[in-house]
Amino acid sequence: MSDPEKAGAWCVRTGLLTLRYLSLAVQYGIYVGIYLLEAGLLVALVVRRRLGGTLPVCLYLGLLLAVDGVGRSYVLYRYGYSSNEYGYFYWLTDVLLALGAFLLVCAFFRRACAHEAKMWRFVRLLLAFVLILTLGISLFALSRNYHQLFTGFIVDFQQNLYFTCLVLNTLLYILMQQIQSTDDELNLLVCGMGIQFAGPAANFALVHLTPGQDYASALYPYLGALCTMGMLLTWFYALVRAPQPSAIRAGEVPARELAAVVSREA
Amino acid sequence: MFVASLVLVVSTGLLFFYFQVACQRILRRKFDQEYFLAIVNANRLEFPVVRKALEEYEAPVEYARVCMTLKCDYLALTYLLKNAANVNQRYSGEERLLILYFKAVFFSLVARHWLRLHEQPPIFKLTAILQYFANVIGQRVSMVRFGNLTASDYLLSL
Repeated sequence: MSDPEKAGAWCVRTGLLTLRYLSLAVQYGIYVGIYLLEAGLLVALVVRRRLGGTLPVCLYLGLLLAVDGVGRSYVLYRYGYSSNEYGYFYWLTDVLLALGAFLLVCAFFRRACAHEAKMWRFVRLLLAFVLILTLGISLFALSRNYHQLFTGFIVDFQQNLYFTCLVLNTLLYILMQQIQSTDDELNLLVCGMGIQFAGPAANFALVHLTPGQDYASALYPYLGALCTMGMLLTWFYALVRAPQPSAIRAGEVPARELAAVVSREA
Repeated sequence: MFVASLVLVVSTGLLFFYFQVACQRILRRKFDQEYFLAIVNANRLEFPVVRKALEEYEAPVEYARVCMTLKCDYLALTYLLKNAANVNQRYSGEERLLILYFKAVFFSLVARHWLRLHEQPPIFKLTAILQYFANVIGQRVSMVRFGNLTASDYLLSL
């Protein structure tokens, strides 16, 4: 190889290496942002004493933080990115998180039907049926294909699981429009959940439709993480930042003003 | 193959749908007064006129003029949003999201024009976003006091 050719090859190699490190840095940046958002939202809910009203959200956030933030980071550190252990742990916990999100959507259904007892009775049965069906199919399919998890099975499986959750979430959104729910907070929580399901479902379908093309599967770490970030930011706005209607408690009204109003009413 | 195509199309559609719903929820925020009026008057913004013309007189859309008007108002308001009575001199999270939403809706307006579809819905959305920006600026400015006058009182008295 002549000197200019060697120099050219060296430039290409260095460029590719730089690009790889740059993409890894972006990926790590996104993930650190997600962990900070998860922890920040959880802390904000605890500090504001909103655990009672948002317990399902807090439990899901706790699961996300434990699995995504702690568990995966530990396994990655211990076994490395390209190890089988990390692969299995990542995909199996992804199924666990999707099922956790499914349960959270069920809790949102409960909240949406808080004043619709008759409807809740019907919805409860339907949700229980869908949950048992999804859980049964998931466990059956996973146990049968456990040793060939990376042969395209997991893409197909995850695509269907995420899409089922997305459909359920959209049904909840339609239901809320039907009963003219005024719960703006729940509306935003449902929107966040929709973003979280829709992105990965579309990405898995793209991977399925373009076999052998690396760009579709290379997109997942970014798209999946960005959708999670989108969900967390929407929740953050809904639960922490959105201006709440200012309710006046009795203690906050000066006694003199209160007495004046009472005497005027009398 | 068919199922995967269906999942791809529906999921992509729903991703954009949820993004739009989240933006619309932010835009539904109620302000305790109409702060945007002072900002519109002081900066001679024209988006309320565009909206009024479309709402009340059902005037045909003059595409080029409307685009220019909305773009100019957007540039003025985003500049004010960043610099007027803003100590940090940077956008908040929801402002960034709405800026992105404005660009997406503006793109849909251009696409609708080329496809010869109804142009009014995106124009109403764009004016709603601009009104929100003006309200945020007005609210911030109204908190700053100059002697006995708030900034918005001062602007209204011009």
